[in-house]
Amino acid sequence: MVGRRAELPFLPLLLEFHSLYCYCGLYLLLEKGYSTAVAASTAVAQARGNQEMEFTVSKADLLRELSLTQGVVERKTTIPILANILCEAKGSRLAITATDLELTICTSCDVKTKKDGSGTVSAKKLLEIIRLLPDSDIRFKLLENHWVQITSDKRNYKMVGMAKENFPALPAMPHVFARLPAALIADMIAKTYFAISMEESRYTLNGAKLILKPDSITLVATDGHRLALVEATQKVDGLNTEAGVLVPKKAMNELKALAAEAGDEAQIEFAQDESNLFFRIGERQLISRKLTGQFPNYEAVLPRDNTKSVGIDRDELADALRRVSQLADQRSQAVKVTLSKEGVEISASSPEYGEAREVIEREYKGADLSIGFNAKYMLDFLAAAPQGPISLELKDEQSAGQMRPSAEEGTRYRYVIMPMRI
Amino acid sequence: MPKLSSFRAKKESAPASELGAHPSEGATTILHVDMDAFFVSVELLERPELRGKPVVVGGQPGQRGVVSAASYEARRYGIQSAMPLRTAGRLCPHAVFLEPRHERYSEWSDRIAAILARFSPRVEMASVDEAYLDLAGTERLLGHPLAAAHRLRREIWEKTNLPSSIGLARTRLVAKVASDQAKPAGLLWIPAGSEATFLALLSVRKIPGIGKVTEAALNGLGIETVAQLAALPRQRLEDTFGRWGSALYRKARGDDTYEFLDDAEAKSISHHHTFSEDVDDISMIETTLSHLCQKAAKRLRDAGLYAGTVTLTLRYAGFETITRARTLPAPTNLDQDVQRVTRELLARHRDPKRRVRLVGVSLTSISHGETQLELLDPARREKLEKLARASDQLRERFGFEKLQLGGSMRKPSRR
Repeated sequence: MVGRRAELPFLPLLLEFHSLYCYCGLYLLLEKGYSTAVAASTAVAQARGNQEMEFTVSKADLLRELSLTQGVVERKTTIPILANILCEAKGSRLAITATDLELTICTSCDVKTKKDGSGTVSAKKLLEIIRLLPDSDIRFKLLENHWVQITSDKRNYKMVGMAKENFPALPAMPHVFARLPAALIADMIAKTYFAISMEESRYTLNGAKLILKPDSITLVATDGHRLALVEATQKVDGLNTEAGVLVPKKAMNELKALAAEAGDEAQIEFAQDESNLFFRIGERQLISRKLTGQFPNYEAVLPRDNTKSVGIDRDELADALRRVSQLADQRSQAVKVTLSKEGVEISASSPEYGEAREVIEREYKGADLSIGFNAKYMLDFLAAAPQGPISLELKDEQSAGQMRPSAEEGTRYRYVIMPMRI
Repeated sequence: MPKLSSFRAKKESAPASELGAHPSEGATTILHVDMDAFFVSVELLERPELRGKPVVVGGQPGQRGVVSAASYEARRYGIQSAMPLRTAGRLCPHAVFLEPRHERYSEWSDRIAAILARFSPRVEMASVDEAYLDLAGTERLLGHPLAAAHRLRREIWEKTNLPSSIGLARTRLVAKVASDQAKPAGLLWIPAGSEATFLALLSVRKIPGIGKVTEAALNGLGIETVAQLAALPRQRLEDTFGRWGSALYRKARGDDTYEFLDDAEAKSISHHHTFSEDVDDISMIETTLSHLCQKAAKRLRDAGLYAGTVTLTLRYAGFETITRARTLPAPTNLDQDVQRVTRELLARHRDPKRRVRLVGVSLTSISHGETQLELLDPARREKLEKLARASDQLRERFGFEKLQLGGSMRKPSRR
């Protein structure tokens, strides 16, 4: 913890308000805690005398870090400060923070600092300007009234800013709970992300369940119609018990982006407190509010006796589904999958467009079966599954079907999909 | 019960029923049943002493709002539907002005729909007081369509004491024009082949689909009667009106195949309620919405349809209107699903500081309901569907109002 303080200079200031952020919630923070927080942090800031800020940064470095924060910045916020990012320069590092109060990204890059200090400006406008500037060094300077001056050669911009004290205080990262391979996590997120529910009322499904065991990592997501489960055999450093947390959808997306940016060998340091999840990859940190509530008992819905199975190449099946679903009902995307000794027939029809039928010849010895599926659900899985044969395993037309890669290496990937009544 | 799109080609038998929807030459099997001054007639059931007097339903002449219906006696004074109440009050100050009671009208509408359903499996309730029936294939059971139409009109009168008018023709368009010409309390049969003669002398405005704008445009071309319209070459109409021109060309001939297949499909189902006084009481708004949701969902089920999108309409005092829609993860026809989404939309988007004048719910993205089964709680949907079936049956026997979700138990005051 102490070590982090030195590296991320803004954290000490924020620590004081950790509990405020955690327990008061947005409403209270705004209605009551706000003025207290502002008053208190202004005092701290003045005591430190860092009402200045002046540094120089390379365009490429800054652009890379700013891009990573964009997914978090609120576009349509009722709280103006959340449209801004916080820039804090100290020593040779610039810390950049964006938050929507649900999700926070802290990142940093090397700078040449003339005066330590911090300021906030519109995240969107800053990114656009930096993106459009030619490759060169860019100088930042805090002016009066929180304005920030940005200079690159003869180009000069002055952006309206807001007092950095208005920027929400952030919780501090507790001790690291587990270390996870970043590339693996990014892959697991890609395999489950699409199955997370978009329906806000089912908020326990608005995230994926991450289950950590000493020798495995599991990620499960479902929207109530299909379920994606990926389980990797992996020794988890620093873990000796089992832990399960719900990771919100937006956090998963950002985590995947951070993991991808960090490279193959990177590790994710994971920690949690009562209300937040913390993921740190190198110099970057993602803080997410926890989703509370009970994730459904997914073990119970995994099919056990789907004996009618057939193997099809991923791309062959995906291509057929894409073509056939062109003539399916546009809203339901319902296609019929028929298993018979002829093989796998995929068909669809709609009064508006006509009908389509394709047969993929495969050996199938079981009893004939006809079952309806949402083609999009099947395609979602096929897009995430590795190349090669896919095993389609069915029971009857009422029960959940299962899709999985036929060949498995170290990672168990299961996709359970409920049929449609057609 | 009220079918929304019975005429529409069903999925499996698309080509066949499309042929069926094209009445073969010479067969006049399409009925248009139109209730005469429906709202007024329903009011007269309870207040027979008003018979023979000018009666206007819509509200008091001092109120804002428009005439919903006027008795034939009131129409003699020039009072028409959609006319401001103030104007109606000026035209006939001694008319009896009544507040509309839409729940009553829809109850009676349901009863009429039940009678219609006995005459044909293909009934489309075009609105609360008019319906199209296709009598094709009912000759053995009911005799010639003209005889069946006669019996239908008599049966509606005997069972409900409500007068209706019926047009019988080869196409929906001609049947509708015919029922209008038959009013009040008449039956008009336009034998196949005589459509042009029947339509010829009518004003173009009588053709459904031709409104003020088209009428004015046609008048500009020197065209006032349907005969004149029918005399125009197709090319000329298409040059002037584009695609609408070719529709006009067909309409002038009493032909509406195009309209039949396209417009018969329900694109949306909506129910609205205007409060008699602007309200800011959330529970009043919620109960009203719940009621509207149930009505809309029942209509979906009656038509065997499902909706993929739920839209909430809120009109504030001062007429600013907002609509907020949400697409459902899977199409539904259940009261509970529709109600839950509208409540969420209401909670999120209503400005609690403003008074509400109107609420409404619209169901769109209508499909024939390939139902996505539930993975996590498959029993839930099954139970709700059973519940919906049972409650629909009860409602059909005892009236819609008799069975309600708890959420709509606090009924809004009606006047």
